[in-house]
Amino acid sequence: MWFFRSPQVVFGDEALSYLSSLPIRRAAIITDRYLLGTELPERVRGALPEGAESLVVGDVSAEPPLSEMTAHLEKVRGFSPDWFVAVGGGSSIDTAKILFALHERPDLTVYDITPLVQLGLRTKSRLIAVPTTSGTGSECTWAAVLSEENEKRKHELASPEILPDYAILDPSLVVSLPPEQTRNTAADAIAHAVEAYGSTWHNPFSDAMAEKALELISENIEGVIRDPRGLGPRGQVHIGASMAGLSFSNSQIGLVHALGHSLGATFKLPHGKAVGLLLPYVVDFNYDACPERYDRLNMLIPPKYRGRRLSGSLRSLLGMMGVARTVRDAGVEEPAYASSMDALVTLASESTGMVTNPKDSGSEDLRNIFIKAFDGD
Amino acid sequence: MAGARTARVRPRLSPFMIGVRSDALVKMARFPSEEWTKLYAEKLNANKSYEDAGKNWEGAITFVVQKDSALDKDAFIYLDLYHGKCRDAKFSLTESDLPTPEYKYAGPYGNWRKLINKEIDPIQGLLTGKFKLQGSMMKIMRFTKAAKEMVNTTASVQTES
Ligand SMILES: [Fe+2]
Repeated sequence: MWFFRSPQVVFGDEALSYLSSLPIRRAAIITDRYLLGTELPERVRGALPEGAESLVVGDVSAEPPLSEMTAHLEKVRGFSPDWFVAVGGGSSIDTAKILFALHERPDLTVYDITPLVQLGLRTKSRLIAVPTTSGTGSECTWAAVLSEENEKRKHELASPEILPDYAILDPSLVVSLPPEQTRNTAADAIAHAVEAYGSTWHNPFSDAMAEKALELISENIEGVIRDPRGLGPRGQVHIGASMAGLSFSNSQIGLVHALGHSLGATFKLPHGKAVGLLLPYVVDFNYDACPERYDRLNMLIPPKYRGRRLSGSLRSLLGMMGVARTVRDAGVEEPAYASSMDALVTLASESTGMVTNPKDSGSEDLRNIFIKAFDGD
Repeated sequence: MAGARTARVRPRLSPFMIGVRSDALVKMARFPSEEWTKLYAEKLNANKSYEDAGKNWEGAITFVVQKDSALDKDAFIYLDLYHGKCRDAKFSLTESDLPTPEYKYAGPYGNWRKLINKEIDPIQGLLTGKFKLQGSMMKIMRFTKAAKEMVNTTASVQTES
């Protein structure tokens, strides 16, 4: 027995206008500091049904720490929303998932958000995710990542009940995404599709999502980089990123994310940058555990980037996108890397990605991948 | 009751049935039993992957094997796990005879058989309600690899079918 879980997905031109057809009376709009300074919160307010009241919680920071939640939660509780509308990247959407759960169940702490207990959410409110990046897939997943202050650790919270009710994929919301975020988030989405496809929990539903996601992203990302404001390619990559989210949410991530969370948390690298650079190294490591599956994925990458093996094709594709090829390229210095190696390995080994990666691995394997990734092969 | 027992096909549990075949080259044990528990602890202590994955783990866990149509009494396997080793392993049909563990991993006998035969993934087993876990999730989620190795080790115990 297994499941395929998905929000209702609204996509394409003017998808944001769908908000007006929902029975929203009090919307808590959760967004980040950068977007707060743009016209986006107003656009979202304008798309709400007539007469709906709204509260903007606009100070979500990148990769938000636990301490931030208390302040957000106070604001939210004072407002009593009947809908949460997350507008932003993974950080805003993950924050909204957590606020939604804790608003529904004030007796819980974030650590109670686990898939092993029934939380009984949706007695007071619902959750909508409107992504403004194309990559984290958070709008389609039942996971939320939270940073831990004073510790270089990220918590992977999960519950099927924090899966958004709606994911609204409006390409007009991603056309102004800056080049670096475009690159990093697309790399993250590619990593989601590849990891989901190799996962020991893969299933026909997650496979279908992963295959189509890789196809859409790899065929359109060059067009996005060439013409960031072109709605066509942006829309395809945006849909591909959500499909990649659905793929890993319904199977699992693997070593790329185990290592990537550790590297990102230790050296404060953006998530997509960390997983993008690690992806080809992990694919090389995994290859002999799932050669047919990786060969099949390789055939989905456009011929101009396609090499003999998936790892080579990914290197070409990610290279064209401008993703760092090594940890050194990503700006990490060798002495700091070497002295953090034990901690990097320990942190990575504590990720749930360790158990669903196609190839079994131990601490030495993790260490070897980290060492290889520093300067490349 | 006795008649019902003889009609069963699957092995029943008795505290007096220690399932080691003296004529076999490989030690075999019934699951669940005291002998199986001992063999399991030996195998776990020999499992380098478990030692690596559990090297920072401290805490006891009890496997609760719940009765079902093929097992007529609940059984409990207590494992004191510390830094990648099993320091103590106890079997009982009475939970109160055992120390209180930090975690309990519980499921019906039939599901345990499937787990041992690798027909159920231990974590998917939890997510689909085939098994239940009691204890702090926050800590155990950091040790999912150790949990997987613990389950892999059950498959290496020669278990009577
Ligand atoms: Fe990711």
